[in-house]
Amino acid sequence: MSADERLEAEIAEARRIIGELRDRDSLKTQFLSNISHDLRTPLTAIITHAEILRDGLLGEINPRQSESVRTIITGGRQLLDMIAEILLYAKGSSEPLTVNAGTFSFREVVDQISALNESLVAKKQLDLECSVPGELPLVDGDRDKIMHVLMNLLGNALEFTPPGGRVWVNAMLDRGSSPSPMILVEVGDTGRGIAADHHELIFREFAQVDSSASRGHHGIGLGLTIARRFVELHGGRIWVESELGHGSRFFFTLPCALAPE
Amino acid sequence: MAIRVLVVEDSQLISGALRILLEANGYEVSVAGTAADAVEAGAALPPSVVLLDLTLPDKDGLWVLGELESRGVHPAVKLAMSGYDDDATRERCIAAGCDELLVKPVPVREILRIIAERTT
Repeated sequence: MSADERLEAEIAEARRIIGELRDRDSLKTQFLSNISHDLRTPLTAIITHAEILRDGLLGEINPRQSESVRTIITGGRQLLDMIAEILLYAKGSSEPLTVNAGTFSFREVVDQISALNESLVAKKQLDLECSVPGELPLVDGDRDKIMHVLMNLLGNALEFTPPGGRVWVNAMLDRGSSPSPMILVEVGDTGRGIAADHHELIFREFAQVDSSASRGHHGIGLGLTIARRFVELHGGRIWVESELGHGSRFFFTLPCALAPE
Repeated sequence: MAIRVLVVEDSQLISGALRILLEANGYEVSVAGTAADAVEAGAALPPSVVLLDLTLPDKDGLWVLGELESRGVHPAVKLAMSGYDDDATRERCIAAGCDELLVKPVPVREILRIIAERTT
């Protein structure tokens, strides 16, 4: 066998292995997707039954029973969030993601998400400040996906900031970004922060910095991976600036519907 | 006379929970696990309210609404249920004549409130 022939054989073998790995990866994704669908159904029934009991629809329950039932509901809903995240990840891995193009007000998205988090903010006595100038141009993109990104970043910030801490969302127009102006969003917190060598790692799928400081929702480690996918799908960038013990500031950029000057 | 609700849902675990919820609140409930059964059940005993899962084993859930209409059955309240909350699904449901898309698991108080509001 000549050197050329050997090289060709090695290339063919490498191609075969790559093909096999791709097949296995797609099987894994399909498996994740199937199992998540199957987990949702019984969980939905469990939560509905627990709510029926909680609301006394089958007869009054005593306060201790009520506490147990509430725990079932909270745990069930957390589990459901995790399953939704796995499904979203599997979907993005198995088919190309598309942007449902449109324009929308970023301020409205921020208002909506802060309203959804009101009870958590009150419970932890956090100081949540949102500053989005009224004259900010509309975002040019997919409202559902951007909402998901902000929900994830803000959810992490609220979850990982100790009671009494501060969390903020700022948005501004960055006219200096190239090739066209972008909206720059910052989600910051006074939580425990992230060490510099983990700044990239946290965006990787299933990555967890450590079990206590994991920044994925409930520790699955997919939230930031999905957020990065969604932002990059819009031609934006997402990154973190943080050091241990000094809070975190997550940034991302979004295209805007700006009339040409 | 009790208001009749047709629950169209292929998971017996979920339809069982909805049946308990609705019967405990005085509704008369029938359950169908497939689109074909839903049309048959709805035509035999026309419901005032349809709670419709979108993903059924034999057909898309929204197909049921058109079939019922063509058999002269016009439920006053049509509520779609799905595990997914996105604008495209919502628009599809509204276009097919649904009053609302409810995201599963639908909070039980929410179901009761919507049905009560729209049937009185």
